[in-house]
Amino acid sequence: MQIKPSSLSDETYAPRTGGGTAEGAASASGTPEGTPQGPTPARTPGARPRRSFWSGRSELIMPVLVAGLATWLAYETATMTVLGTSVPGPQFFPTIVCVLLYAVAVVHAVQVLRTPRLPDPTDDAENADVSSDLLGDLAHASEKGRRRIAGQNPDAKLPKDWKTYTDWKTVGLVVGGIALFILVLPVLGWVFSAAGLFWIVCKALGSTRPGFDVVVSLVFAAVIQLAFNAGLGLNLPSGFLEGLL
Amino acid sequence: MEQLSLLFEGFGAALTPMNLLWVFIGAILGTAVGVLPGLGSAMAVALLLPITFTLDPTAAFIMFAGVYFGGLFGDSTAGILLNTPGNSSAIASTFEGHRMAKDGRAAKALATAAVGAFIGGLIATTLVVFFAPTLVKMATAFGPAEYFALAVFAFLAISSVVSESVIKGVAALGIGLVLAMVGVDGPSGTVRYTLGLPQLFDGISIVVITVGLLALGEVLHIAGRIHRDPSATKIEPNGRARLDRRDFRRALPAWLRGTAFGVPFGIIPAGGSEVPTFLAYGTEKKLAKRRGDAEFGTVGSIKGVAAPEAAGNATAGTAMGALLALGLPTSATAAIMLAAFQQYGMQPGPLLFERSGDLVWTLLASLFIGLVVLVILNMQFAVLWAKMLYIPRHYLYAGITVLSMLGVYAISSATLDLWVVLAVGLLGFIMRRYQFPLAPVLIAVVLGPLAETELRRALTVSEGDPSILVSSPVTVILYSVLVLALAVSAMQHLRHRREKAAGVAGGDGSGPQGGEGIGPDAGPAGPSEGAVTEERESSRV
Repeated sequence: MQIKPSSLSDETYAPRTGGGTAEGAASASGTPEGTPQGPTPARTPGARPRRSFWSGRSELIMPVLVAGLATWLAYETATMTVLGTSVPGPQFFPTIVCVLLYAVAVVHAVQVLRTPRLPDPTDDAENADVSSDLLGDLAHASEKGRRRIAGQNPDAKLPKDWKTYTDWKTVGLVVGGIALFILVLPVLGWVFSAAGLFWIVCKALGSTRPGFDVVVSLVFAAVIQLAFNAGLGLNLPSGFLEGLL
Repeated sequence: MEQLSLLFEGFGAALTPMNLLWVFIGAILGTAVGVLPGLGSAMAVALLLPITFTLDPTAAFIMFAGVYFGGLFGDSTAGILLNTPGNSSAIASTFEGHRMAKDGRAAKALATAAVGAFIGGLIATTLVVFFAPTLVKMATAFGPAEYFALAVFAFLAISSVVSESVIKGVAALGIGLVLAMVGVDGPSGTVRYTLGLPQLFDGISIVVITVGLLALGEVLHIAGRIHRDPSATKIEPNGRARLDRRDFRRALPAWLRGTAFGVPFGIIPAGGSEVPTFLAYGTEKKLAKRRGDAEFGTVGSIKGVAAPEAAGNATAGTAMGALLALGLPTSATAAIMLAAFQQYGMQPGPLLFERSGDLVWTLLASLFIGLVVLVILNMQFAVLWAKMLYIPRHYLYAGITVLSMLGVYAISSATLDLWVVLAVGLLGFIMRRYQFPLAPVLIAVVLGPLAETELRRALTVSEGDPSILVSSPVTVILYSVLVLALAVSAMQHLRHRREKAAGVAGGDGSGPQGGEGIGPDAGPAGPSEGAVTEERESSRV
């Protein structure tokens, strides 16, 4: 899965109606006059999505993170207060890991710079643990079978306004909900904090019955508290209800 | 046959009402996380781990083993009915299984999968009972160099040989090794990488890392996509899952062949059951072609479901053997179970059989009981399990989020752990976003400390001479096999890259990465498109 379909923009996935690939392909190569040929695709040339240097290269954040981690590791290793005199000491293994991390960061960065990877609407990225090429060979898979193994769904019927980029708003809501939970847990206690977290995640993931969800959340959180305090003897904080429960 | 008498003693200890209850709970939980797409037994064991601290270890491990096997029983359900396998271990059985479901034979496919999982698990566990003492004897001869070689083998096999991308695999491995090094260094007592926080002196708990990567990471991944992706349509299974004698006779050879593929892969750290399930599927496909089996690939063949399912659970069976006898985790779930042993102050390997023999044999006996419970649960109630797929996804993931917080908080009632798990969850999310494998992180976190300690011990003994690392036949064999596997895998990667490059340059519209088949009206590519595609290719290389 080195190079992704060029007909897909960063913003939306528009089903092609003819030779519209030229547009995406030309823009991927940076050709300025990448006007579509043949029947006009779902969008007009004027509305062609902006394609900057960063298109398909957002993955660069990974080598940057890895290099950052390696730098922190190197700094900490160099400034470590070493106890004991055994050779090799506690700095030996981290040094190996540090070199390894820098090496993969550089190679990965070069890879991303050379072949930007545009988002693929049919790729759900579930199976990076095992090489899909390897599995495809083992299964003597056909082309379609190989795509299926790679976590793609060749038969997927996609909506017209299909978006490929991550839904940051929903992710942000969930992360915010968790952060809020951690902050209020000591104050509100388990039942209300956990119920609030449950409710926020439900809402973020598209529940349409907020009123009903309040009941579900409270029951869920309360059952856990009861099971834990009574059954397993683990203490969950009861917050301002201390003494009442 | 000393093993048999020990096993009977184990059955005696396992057949108490309490222990049967734990087997049962484990089987139900395992099947549930197996059925639900995106959740796996590794995550389930990690979430259970802190909650089971108050149980006695035998009960906890009986439950974990039920979860491990249960996950492999349940994973094919969603694959067969929805064409979205619950775990990657079920992709291979989804091909033919979903075809059978579309053909109106969903119940039969579910039954074939359940019986296959039972047979694979049964044979593998029996082999473990008979060969575990041999493995233990082998392992007692292992020194620091051998253990280091085993760890390196596991690291590179999982991060490089089987993973999608070598670079991303090794990066994931490195991230895992860094996470594992946080805390006080055992041999010297040096404080490392704790950011000055005394709470991190004991290191980051494996529960925090696993729950963050597998549970929260998955929730965030779903959050990033739930308002984007179309949902799959489900096929209703009708009737009870059952097999008549004719089906049974047709599936039996495939079950046995699948088991034969699965058994050796439990001992090889190759990331679990994906490779053997696909090997089994590929073999059935070849055999079907030779026999002229018209069902295979069209309406769905029972053999194409039977073989991979048996292979999957056979792998889990021998993986338990490798874990108990060698202390070597060969899959992510086995890695978490190894961590669980360490939490209880036990180290799997030869010493475990010596010191906690009764636990080991009770656990092995309960594996058999668990398999029986699971095959009944999955045969009789297959349709009921399928109903779980109707749980609204927002309730499901909200529940997982809350349970993750609960599990992490239960470790030591520390707020810091909750912040760390959120950070690791974001790491898991971004790694999923850019298709980084997660298994290498888990293996590195579990085996990292072992690798470091044994490497330093070996080099201390040899006074810094690295040749000690390759001084015994065992190490030489391990490294040779590893180099061979790396070479084969490198050749394979290069071949596929060349094929893909050729497909693009040709601009024939059928290239593997072209995506031409996605659009509803993928027409043949015009000459201008071919030219532009070539230009794009040359601008990249």
